[in-house]
Amino acid sequence: MMAKASAVPIVLKAEIQKLIPTSKILVVGAGGIGCEILKNLAMSGFKDIEIIDLDTIDVSNLNRQFLFRKEHVGKSKAMVARETILNYNKDINIKAYHDSITTSEYGVNFFKRFAVVLNALDNRAARNHVNRMCLAADVPLIESGTSGYTGQVEFIKKGLTQCYECNPKAAQKTFPGCTIRNTPSEPVHCIVWAKHLFNQLFGEDDPDQDVSPDTADPEAAGDAGVEALAQVDESKKVERKSTKTWAQETSYNPEKLFNKFFEDDIKYLLSMENLWKNRKAPIPLSWSSAASDDGDQEKSKNDVHKEDMEVWSFKKCTEVFSSSISMLKEELANKNFLVWDKDFKPALDFVTACANVRSHIFSIARKSRFEVKSIAGNIIPAIATTNAMVSGLVVLLTFRVLAEEYEKCLTVYVRQKSSESNTVMMTEKFLGAANPKCYVCSKQPMVDVSINTKSMLVKDFESEILKKSLNMVAPDVVLDGKGVVVISSEEGETAANDNKTLTEMGIVDGAILKVDDFLQNYELTICIHHYVPKEKEDPLYKILADMDLQAKSEEGANGKENGASSASAADFAAVNVDDDEDPQEGSSKRRKMNPKEEDDDDMIMLD
Amino acid sequence: MSESKLSTAEAELYDRQIRLWGIESQEKLRAANVLLIKIRGLGSEIAKDILLCGINSLTILDDALVTEEEIFKNFLLSPESVGKNIAEAVLEKAQALNPLVKITPDSESVDKKNAEFFAIFTVVIATGLNSVQVLEISKYCRDAKVKFICGDNFGMFGYSFADFQTHEFFEDKVQLTGGQKRGIDGRITKVKSERTVVKVCGKMEYVDLSKVIKLPEAPMKPKRRNIYYYLMLALLQFRDKFNRDPMMESKEEDVKELKAIKDDILKLYQVNPDKFKEEVFDLIFGEVVPVCSIVGGVMAQEAIKAVSGKEVPINNVFLLDPFNYSGREENVV
Repeated sequence: MMAKASAVPIVLKAEIQKLIPTSKILVVGAGGIGCEILKNLAMSGFKDIEIIDLDTIDVSNLNRQFLFRKEHVGKSKAMVARETILNYNKDINIKAYHDSITTSEYGVNFFKRFAVVLNALDNRAARNHVNRMCLAADVPLIESGTSGYTGQVEFIKKGLTQCYECNPKAAQKTFPGCTIRNTPSEPVHCIVWAKHLFNQLFGEDDPDQDVSPDTADPEAAGDAGVEALAQVDESKKVERKSTKTWAQETSYNPEKLFNKFFEDDIKYLLSMENLWKNRKAPIPLSWSSAASDDGDQEKSKNDVHKEDMEVWSFKKCTEVFSSSISMLKEELANKNFLVWDKDFKPALDFVTACANVRSHIFSIARKSRFEVKSIAGNIIPAIATTNAMVSGLVVLLTFRVLAEEYEKCLTVYVRQKSSESNTVMMTEKFLGAANPKCYVCSKQPMVDVSINTKSMLVKDFESEILKKSLNMVAPDVVLDGKGVVVISSEEGETAANDNKTLTEMGIVDGAILKVDDFLQNYELTICIHHYVPKEKEDPLYKILADMDLQAKSEEGANGKENGASSASAADFAAVNVDDDEDPQEGSSKRRKMNPKEEDDDDMIMLD
Repeated sequence: MSESKLSTAEAELYDRQIRLWGIESQEKLRAANVLLIKIRGLGSEIAKDILLCGINSLTILDDALVTEEEIFKNFLLSPESVGKNIAEAVLEKAQALNPLVKITPDSESVDKKNAEFFAIFTVVIATGLNSVQVLEISKYCRDAKVKFICGDNFGMFGYSFADFQTHEFFEDKVQLTGGQKRGIDGRITKVKSERTVVKVCGKMEYVDLSKVIKLPEAPMKPKRRNIYYYLMLALLQFRDKFNRDPMMESKEEDVKELKAIKDDILKLYQVNPDKFKEEVFDLIFGEVVPVCSIVGGVMAQEAIKAVSGKEVPINNVFLLDPFNYSGREENVV
């Protein structure tokens, strides 16, 4: 009386076994976790799967995204994943979309078709979006992420658990503009500066990424600063044209460029004496002295160790500076501008050389190209084993969600075993409760936005606040009480408002905005507060979802979650906000996940 | 693959893991020769993870023939594999996971292998062994200083135990320097904190696996142990006694048998029987691929630690809680 062999685990309850072949599952993301989840679903008897991913396959994916091979490089992840899974089991109905989940084709009705949605994403914006879609469609969501040896799996269901946005995540680390331009103290500051320099020379014009000394640095104020300001006023006038125009006029002469950025600008910084009263002053470096300093390094020849792992000599830096500029110049010839890409060798070489020269000038430790790539490209390390563990947990929770055993769908953290801890996987004791003041899943979502209403333009409000910070896709905005349509998701309908300031639209301190994102089925009330930053470390605007939450996290020494997401703004040089790169399987970066950041004393022991 | 240094192409392929464990670890992996004993559901997961990370060679030892049920639990097989030797049947899909690794299928029985066979490997990973096999192979490995790890999946439950003998390792620890400093004048000044990475070395001793899986001859009372350790022992005893694993087809008899074995074990270790939830026996049937994915991930990661000498390995037992899916180390001495 042996039952017919099947992939469905016999150990599961009969009701779950019955549900598995008929339940429709959406997997969002076919990266490291996505590939593993698809395999686990297929090998557990699921027969109705849809997979969506907008990405294509890269060589550096192949160490863990095992549904792909070398010959697939450049092809759609979703499509190839589907083909490989069908190779495992022809009886599966699997539909693949090479597309972004945030587009309007995947609305609430799309999501409603699924029994469970499994997130296997690499960025917060898409995670926030799917979170909202699942809340709107009332579909259970299993959220997961990994970063190196750590990872986590979390179950989210409307009205039952916290949502992905109940606890605001730590904002991406940013640096004040004057730290980048005047007073760097860490390698990352010089790397950010070098990326800005790349953009100034070859990229799209962005005034927020200026690389020259910042005379408006409040710290430099005082007599010396003013003096310096006066001294160079004339030369400044001459140099009003953009760095790019100037560079083009020298036809990207490496020596001239080098001397301007590493000798003249540094001399100018030195004249802002106040900056160097309590800091080591920078030492200008000229092209000729750099080019003659070979250190004790030998020539390197396609040797991974030397070329990538060792810190370059100054001579090597000047050589690379020169050769990368000439390649980038050539590349620029047929384009309007270049976009920095860590995988484009001349771009990475240029940044490595410039960052290291600047680091040396400021007595900061220099870095190998390998290290620069990590920092500049914001690369999150990723391995097959952690992805395998996390995706195994995802599918085990999926079984429980199908059986509606929600109270057993507890968050699990994968950690690295350490000498202090015997834990490899830690399970929470209870479902995470929803934050009653969550600006996404509470009954009447509300958020306070502090902003300079006199200077912010409507179009920047839409792009910076509504889209970038609050993750909306197509918002409509009405000024409450007056019924004025400020922003419309219909193209062009409110174009006339774009360049008006908020004040000009009647949006002043105390104003209430009703914002509605049709796609996300998400309505948000925004209370506007007029705010002007005072100190240079102050953010340009603040978004505060929950006053209580922030107060808690500020006093808590353990600081489990970062309270408010006081966002950075344009002239804050963000390391990677605009960075495409792959935060691979990038985790939600909760502090809990990073054992290096935390004490183990918040661990819950279960027996 | 004779050259010890990574090529540029390899550096590109393994980039995301080199950024985690460093190029030295990657070069040690590149030189490692791994033996995998038995490639069923759990074995296929271990093979995947260990092939992807970029070892030098993998020998797959399994004398079984592919059954109809097996193809549903092992993604390296296909319906055409039924009836063929399993080590040979997985070759094609296994090789596709990483063309750079030399894979050798071996269809002989593990019982026919002698000490010299095991001695050539860097690490031996095994699944589905009985106690006698474990103790014999682990002895060969100990004599030849070959790292050994063995594990199983039983339904929602899984475990592994390892003998890395005397294991030297290092960790990169982040140290925060700075904070507050008291000057000679007694004044406290704030110093900007800096993160520095320090290499911390360690050494640990593993006990002989006879101390881990062999039942004591007389009752003893060890320090409190994870209750699933006794579940592991019961399942191994069952396997030794019946030369098979518990089956759904004979669930009633098998559970009865398991309960009896478990009672004896708890008596031997003087554990309060109330601590052991007998419902767990409902959860130990068959291989469950997502559980294999978890336990395989843990075992492969331990094998990687064994080879690279980087990070603190599990010493010596890993136990997966079949109810709440937490997983922890149990140090059995």
